[in-house]
Amino acid sequence: MIAKSKKKKWTNYAIWFILPAFIVYTAFVIVPTLSSVYLSFTAWNGVSEKIPYIGLDNFVEIFKSPRVHNALKNTLILAVSLVLLENIVALGLAILVDQVRWFRNLFRSIFYFPVLMSGIIMGFIWMIILNYNFGVLNQLLEMTGLGFLKTDWLGNPDFALISIILSTVWKAAGYYMVIYLAGLQGIPQELNEAASIDGANRLQQFRHITFPLLAGATTVCVMLSMIGSLKVFDQIAVMTDGGPGFATETLTYIIYKVGFGELRQGFGTALALVLFILTLVISLVQIKVLRKREVQM
Amino acid sequence: MANQPLLKFASIIMALSLVLTACGGNNSNNGNAGAGNSPDNTGTATDAPKEVNFTIAYATGDPSTKKAIEATIDAFTAKNPNIKITNYSETTSAAYLDWLKTKDAVGQFPDLVEMRDTKVFADAGKIVELPEDLRSLFKTLPEYNGKIYNAPISGGTPQGIIYSKKAYADAGITELPKTYDEFLAIQEKLAATGISPIVVGGKDIFHMGFWTNFFIMNEVYSKDPDWNSKRTAKTASFTDAGMVQAMTDYKDLFSKYVDKGWLSTADNQTASILVSGKAAQLFSGPWMFGQIAEADPNFEFGFYAIPNREGKTVVLGLPGLAGWSLSAEAAKDADKVEAMKAFIKFFFDPEQYAPYLATVNGLPSTAIEVSYETGEQMKEVLRLINDETVIKSLAINNWYGENAIPPQFRNWFYKLLQELVLKNGDVTDYMKQADTEYDSNVKANLQQ
Repeated sequence: MIAKSKKKKWTNYAIWFILPAFIVYTAFVIVPTLSSVYLSFTAWNGVSEKIPYIGLDNFVEIFKSPRVHNALKNTLILAVSLVLLENIVALGLAILVDQVRWFRNLFRSIFYFPVLMSGIIMGFIWMIILNYNFGVLNQLLEMTGLGFLKTDWLGNPDFALISIILSTVWKAAGYYMVIYLAGLQGIPQELNEAASIDGANRLQQFRHITFPLLAGATTVCVMLSMIGSLKVFDQIAVMTDGGPGFATETLTYIIYKVGFGELRQGFGTALALVLFILTLVISLVQIKVLRKREVQM
Repeated sequence: MANQPLLKFASIIMALSLVLTACGGNNSNNGNAGAGNSPDNTGTATDAPKEVNFTIAYATGDPSTKKAIEATIDAFTAKNPNIKITNYSETTSAAYLDWLKTKDAVGQFPDLVEMRDTKVFADAGKIVELPEDLRSLFKTLPEYNGKIYNAPISGGTPQGIIYSKKAYADAGITELPKTYDEFLAIQEKLAATGISPIVVGGKDIFHMGFWTNFFIMNEVYSKDPDWNSKRTAKTASFTDAGMVQAMTDYKDLFSKYVDKGWLSTADNQTASILVSGKAAQLFSGPWMFGQIAEADPNFEFGFYAIPNREGKTVVLGLPGLAGWSLSAEAAKDADKVEAMKAFIKFFFDPEQYAPYLATVNGLPSTAIEVSYETGEQMKEVLRLINDETVIKSLAINNWYGENAIPPQFRNWFYKLLQELVLKNGDVTDYMKQADTEYDSNVKANLQQ
């Protein structure tokens, strides 16, 4: 009885500790989120005091607009490519730095370094590298006699999205490398040694021991990279501004452009709500599929 | 049991301190705004001028403009030590509207602001009419809904071709074009020498407007200045012959004569490309003269307005709805209003205004004559603006009143034209898309 009463009193005190965070979270996350849901049904321009309610008109426009369809297509291309490439590169790097004997920490630091840079700065660096007239890449191509490969990497619609994908992989892979590395270091060495004695080669060891035992790390990395790739914005804003034309416009990019630049906060918020639902659905499906895989392995 | 009240007290204190710590950062962030509302007017010296603080913001994309306005602010505050000006300006011209909206959202809308989207902010009640006693300073003051909101910072500035004299000489070009066809012939000669005839800063979407507006002004607005209002009323279409001709010329020019890297070239890189000899010409305005001279003081360049097929010249030159505006919030404070009025009078005083115009290569908007030293290129700009045979017009997004276009249409249209060139699209098909988007924008804005 006494123990139960003490526990109850302690719970009462705990509320006082939770309350500040709850107030801040409510004020800065829950209230804006709920007001966003309301704004998505309005034609607010983001400046005016007037917030006209227009029902489902914004959502009808979203489903009809070719610009939104194009942005959705680009978002999905970006998401699938980034999830695949970031994880493949990160896993490769993790295996590499796990096995290297010399300068192990130096290599880890080098591969992790791009993660520490802000997306905006990274975008500027790549923009300078890929610039048609002054860029290092085109100058290298010319110097090595490959001038015929010179192109406007960010101004050519065939390459602009690819350039953004590759630069994003360069920035993010180090982060996932650390997660995979932690997973690799948690695999008992004896398993590989036993497999080696049984005659398994490196590839077989990776396929049947390492990769299955990395299921937990894979779940985390795939989910984080999927959510991250649906939110890519900095690189696009800096490197291409959604162009050339509409070639690199994604949902996050047009949410910003429409909401702020085009004075359609209501429509931008409706788009944000659609992106939120899309991210939620994809994440839930992913968790379900990957968790099932973890259990099976 | 004896410890329970103490524990409770400690919990409450910690909880409160957490909340207050979270809120505490706000104080330092809002330091400037707070200072503006608490002028030190409780001093004992009754004859000392009252301390006033107001905030200011303007688009800083062009380095020479930024430098020139900063110099004026410094000179003003040196002369009026009781007036403090907090300069909020920190963004580029391209993102100016976004930035201004963000400032408004966080309660830091500038007291005195360079207004480029008068309709939006006037409709929202964020800016007030220009005080009566300032109006006589200016030659022309455009009205919006019968009201005057702006003190125009400078007059409408014509755009034209800034060309490398060496590149023209190397291509054997001895005469400037008298018609658009002669201009195209010059492009052929330049291309034959291996140089990129024209550099375009297509990475910055506003730069796309330079050529777009040149063609639209020549084929559409010079013949019908009310075309925009007719488009809004659906009695004109982007598929009209004039607009299709304009966009066909645009597409041909960009496909044949523009530097290959135009879509990844920023506006501020165009001067470097021109002086480096990689390109022969740039279509821009007089604000570039200073940047070009700074990039290479020995670079010899000329300026001319491109004539149309009939040999007439159409340039940007009508006054638009832009300039210094007073915020509605600041207008409630009589001391601030007086301080801002004093600043505006100081800014347009010939003693200050002349060096400002000379630095930015601007044209005066004042009623009083302002004289300043100009180079050869600027003399041509002044000739164009004073020549009555030269038709003056406005850019697609600078028309106002019935001729105002939906604000969101401009950037979308410029992007569509990029795509038209890149995909070698059919001009009429693309113009049908423009009609659809325009109507959709008009409909969306009617709901606001």
